[in-house]
Amino acid sequence: MTYNLIGPISALATFLGIWAGHVLVREIEKHSASILPPSFGFAILGIGLLVSTFFTSSLILSAPMGIIGMTALWDAYEFFRQEKRIKHGHAPANPRNPRHIKILKAHTTATTLDLLNRNPIGKQVNAEEALQLITLEEHTQ
Amino acid sequence: MNWFGFLVGLVTFVVIGLGFVWVIRGERYLGYLWWPYFMALGIVLVIISFFFQNTWASVLTGVIGGSFIWGATEFKEQAIRAELGWFPFNAKKIRPPFEHIIKKWKVPHL
Repeated sequence: MTYNLIGPISALATFLGIWAGHVLVREIEKHSASILPPSFGFAILGIGLLVSTFFTSSLILSAPMGIIGMTALWDAYEFFRQEKRIKHGHAPANPRNPRHIKILKAHTTATTLDLLNRNPIGKQVNAEEALQLITLEEHTQ
Repeated sequence: MNWFGFLVGLVTFVVIGLGFVWVIRGERYLGYLWWPYFMALGIVLVIISFFFQNTWASVLTGVIGGSFIWGATEFKEQAIRAELGWFPFNAKKIRPPFEHIIKKWKVPHL
């Protein structure tokens, strides 16, 4: 019986691609004074990998390159989505980042608090309860 | 010119896109406590992908399996987003088998 490693390798590339993108976009967006350079960098990386796949005859190399290339290209766009989350208060603003300070001034919805940093409680909460829940867990941790 | 890698990337893009949809719907109707089942399904798919002789069958099951494992780790945050009103909240969820055991486990979150 022969095995086909291309499936597990594609799975790993998919998982690691999404994970790395998820963590990197959030961290870089948090600390960057401008999101254009990192977004551009991810776009170049993504396009570079995708173009390289055209010249790669090895299928087992080509598959993860296509997967990581496409996720990197998506991450380039995610920087803009992440900034929008900051404006809406759906992701915490960094008070030490000048760009985020501007967002905090211009958007009343923006906050430095991470409202997702808690466990689900199984019911809808209002703004006040949402705040209490994250501070409560901070004290118990 | 080899189109294989680019097409794999394109397919992955669609699979991840669908991931957004099933995580949102899955959390709404089933709840985040179903996460071990989605993770197990993902792991099973990755194992199955290992045994496919056909390249595309192997790639597809692998990519779908990988996205299921990722999605399982997104369930908890999605549950909180719904509780905060960022997504529609459904109180009448279908409870998972062995819920009392799952509740004792730490929910993976990346």
